Formats: sequence, structure tokens, C-alpha cells
Amino acid sequence: MVFTGIEILFFTLGVMVTLIIISLIRYNKKYKFSALSWALLGIGSFLLVFCLAWSVSSVLEGVPRAASMGLMVFGIPAILLVLTGRRTVLKNQLKND
Amino acid sequence: MNKLNSKNNNAINRRNFLKVGVAGAAIGAISIPAKGREKLVEKVNKNVGPNLIKVHDEFPYEINSTFKRHSSMDLLFSGALFGTHPEDTDILNSGHRFIENNQKHDNSKKGWDQLGAAINAGGWALHHAVSANACFSQAGQGILKWEQLSEAEGKQGSHSSKDWVSDEKYKFRDKQEASNAIKRAARLFGADLIGITKRDKRWDYTDFFDGNLMLQGKRDEAVYGWEKFPFEPKSVIVLAFEEDYECIAAAPTHLGGAAVGEGYTRMTKVAYQLSVMLKQLGYMAVPASNDVGMSVPYAIAAGLGEGSRMGTLVTYKYGPRVRLAKVYTNLDFVEYDKPIEFGVMDFCKNCKRCADACPGKAISFDTEPTFEPPYDNAWYNSTGIKKYYMDARKCIKVWGDFGSDCGSCVAACPYNKPDFWHHRLVDKITKLMPGPVHDFMREMDIAFGYGDVDNPEKVDKFFDASNRSYDGQ
Repeated sequence: MVFTGIEILFFTLGVMVTLIIISLIRYNKKYKFSALSWALLGIGSFLLVFCLAWSVSSVLEGVPRAASMGLMVFGIPAILLVLTGRRTVLKNQLKND
Repeated sequence: MNKLNSKNNNAINRRNFLKVGVAGAAIGAISIPAKGREKLVEKVNKNVGPNLIKVHDEFPYEINSTFKRHSSMDLLFSGALFGTHPEDTDILNSGHRFIENNQKHDNSKKGWDQLGAAINAGGWALHHAVSANACFSQAGQGILKWEQLSEAEGKQGSHSSKDWVSDEKYKFRDKQEASNAIKRAARLFGADLIGITKRDKRWDYTDFFDGNLMLQGKRDEAVYGWEKFPFEPKSVIVLAFEEDYECIAAAPTHLGGAAVGEGYTRMTKVAYQLSVMLKQLGYMAVPASNDVGMSVPYAIAAGLGEGSRMGTLVTYKYGPRVRLAKVYTNLDFVEYDKPIEFGVMDFCKNCKRCADACPGKAISFDTEPTFEPPYDNAWYNSTGIKKYYMDARKCIKVWGDFGSDCGSCVAACPYNKPDFWHHRLVDKITKLMPGPVHDFMREMDIAFGYGDVDNPEKVDKFFDASNRSYDGQ
């Protein structure tokens, strides 16, 4: 084993966070996010990253039930927040058009 | 704040990241100039740190006027295995059944089979070979001896062990250097956590006894006091040893017992090694297991953790999954550690998972800690300390039934988790939240699948070879 699971996890999380920040900045340039959109997308993205970190860590420590619960408790709100955030962005866009 | 930064100050690892600076690290990532970042992290540490880990100057639990030191003869194992209280046949019977059942295995039950029993025997083997009965609080056993040979005496015997007090006393530059050197050496020898505190007579047994003489009925000859101790101790170095998570999770089985025995084996080894090191520096030292004094209050005083509902120490890093050893020494030119508090006793008020899990119902369900045990006909030692009392009589009865260490309370405790970042994060959040949230945290701990005991799947998990490599790759 070259890298341990937790090392790969934190490396992947770093890449994910970078990509999310770049995407948010790029889409902000294109769509001009409102404060609400920033809050929803920001918190949603954070929760999504946290959900992944939690669930993979739980699998690595050998407690799959904690991983499933993590997906439910953190993952579902994360997706809802990101989708709502996307919706507010698109609504604003429609208004501006 | 030194407390927070002292353990891993060479790198921002996951623990420190979570412990002292989620905000600082996050803002740092958005490239604030280095100087500003340092100031910000310092500010966050200053404001958030004390809320997470509080450092006390004195022993953190109230002690009232009814507190009395007690004899090592009042300990549960002394009564159960050496008959120090022969009138209490209940305890004696439990002790006898423990010894009898400890020799047995049951191949129809996972973890209680011959394989489990064999691993248990292996875990305990070295402890029993070199310091038999130290686990039962017998003082001066095997290599945990009280003997302090002078250099001249020592050199007449075996030169290689160097178990004598050097004529030349090593002078440390300052107390911190002494403390750092002792802790680094203890870590080298195999201790996981190390704290140093002043010797406190309150935690030492008033007297001791020779178990063999006691069993022969020579009670008067068997008992001896502190006059036999070779020096006036000034400091106590407390060592904590992590027990294997998967072994303890399999409790109550022989595997749980194996983790305990393996802990005792390392306790004996490291305490002895540290005592020889101190002797070679010119100071007197006596290594101790459960004997000489009470390990839990010493560990609390040495800043290794907090007390708990089940009576064991709960450490920040390993929860209750530790064993404790001590080294008494006359070295006092050393920096002492201070007791810490990170929310365990508060959490215990609402949690009660250990009390639920205890097969003997030996752990109190009272919400608040008390100065006296809340049971009738209970077996306990010190009273007058505000804590949760457990009934050792019920506890040893279960041990007798099992013929092995039980450990269900330790396995069920929400602080008993592997050393993963997300558990430390939950600990922090729990500490910052008020009592009602603790109830919720307890329920979530159950929902997330942690801490169930007497589960044969845990035994399978211990033996599961997937995701492990034993071949050096």
C-alpha cells in the first residue's frame, strides 16, 4: 500500500475543495450570485465535502453504518442546499434577462 | 494554551487542525499574509481553546471532610482473591468463580472459544511472568520491586540490567528539560500518554499486604506499611497505554480480556524501564501497576484525562480505552502537569451508555455525581469525593460468571473511538454544547452504530484480514 486510505481521502478532499472554489468563482462571474445564493451554495458545498470526508472515514474505520448515516444526515441536506442555491442563481438570471 | 500546543508542535496535523484552529486554518488557506494568519490563529486559540480544554490548578473534583485514605486490603481484588475480608463470602465466591472460569473456554461461542482464550493468555503472559499479581494490586511484585540497590551493590550482581541507583546525580538544566526527557524516554519505551504530578498521600494506600501470607492465614505477618517503602516519594509519573480498539469492541469476550492483559504487559515493561532510567540518573524510583496508590486520581492530577460515570479515566485521545501505570520517584526537580477538563463528566450526566451496557448493573444511573455511593451493600473504597460510584460487588460477580475481564462499559462509552478526526470533532462540538444536546449526541452515537456490546460481529471484525497487511508491503 503506497498511501493509506486517510491520506488519499485528504488529498482528494483538497482537490475537491479547489475545484469547488474555482467553479463558484467562475459561475459567480457569469451569473453574479446574490448573498442568498452564496450562502446556500457555500454551506451546501461545505456540507458535501464534509459528508464525503465523514463517510469515507467511517468506512476506513470499519463502521459502514456510520458511513450510511453520514450520507443521510449530511449528504441529503448538502444536496438540497446546493440545488436550492442553483435554483436561486437561475431565478436571478431569469429576472436579470 | 501550552497544553494545547505542546503535544504535536512540529506540524499542523489533523488533530491540531481540529483542536485549535478550524477557523485559522480555513482563513489561512485563503492566503492571508503569514503574520496576520499567525495572529488570527493565536486569537482563535486564546478564545476557543479554554472552552475546549480547561486547565485546572488543583484537583478538579470536590473532596469533603468524610474522605479517608484506605488500605490496599480494601480493594476488590484483595477481598475476592486474597480473602482480606473473609466475612464477605459473596466477594470471595465471585473471586473463586473468576479464577475457575478463567481456565475454561467454550467453542460454541465466538470470542469465548479456545482461540479467544489463547489470545487472552498470550496478552497476559509477560505480565504474569514478570510481575504476577501486580494487576491485583499486590505491591513489589517481580520486576515492579521496591529494591533500590546502591551502585556498589548493583555492580556486584548482574552488570547488564543496571538496575541500581547511580552514585552520580544527573542535573537537569531546568524543570522543563527534566519533564521533557522523562516523557520522551517513556514514549520510547512504549507509553502512549505520560503525565507527571506531585506525590499526593491522599491517593496512596495506607498499607499493603503479602498475598501469599494472607492466603496462608498469617494476617498479622502479611500486612506492612509505608515504613518498608525505600524512600519518600516526591513525584509520580503516570503512564497510560492504549488498548486495542477492536479487541475492546468485542467485549465481553476473551478478546476483550486479551486487550487488557496486553495493556498490563506493557505497563509492567515500561514502568520498569522508566524506573531503571531514573535510577541511572541517580534518583530512586519504584515502578507500580495497580499497587502502591490509586491510578485514576493520579492520572487525573497528572493531566491525562477526566473521571467518568464508570469510574475509569477517560483520556482525550483514547477515551476510556487505556491502562495506567505509575513510577514513584524522589526526583522533584521536574515540571508538573495540571489536571484538564474537556467535558467528560458533563457528558456523563446525560449519557449513561456504560450504565445501560453493564451486564451486572453495577454502574450508577444517578444524574449528578455524589459524595457517597447510592447503593446498599455495595463494595467501594474512597468516599467523600464527588464522583459517580460504581458497585464493585456487582462488577466482580459478572467477572466471575465470564471468567474474564468484562469491559462492556469501556466498549459502550461514546468516548471510546478509534483515533479518527471526525470523532475528535464531535468531542469538541459536544463540549461546546449544553446538556440537552448531549442527549441528542448519545442517541446519534447509537444511531451511527457505535458502542454496542456483546455483538459476535465484533469478533469477526477483529479477525477479518481484509484491508490489513502483515507482510511488510
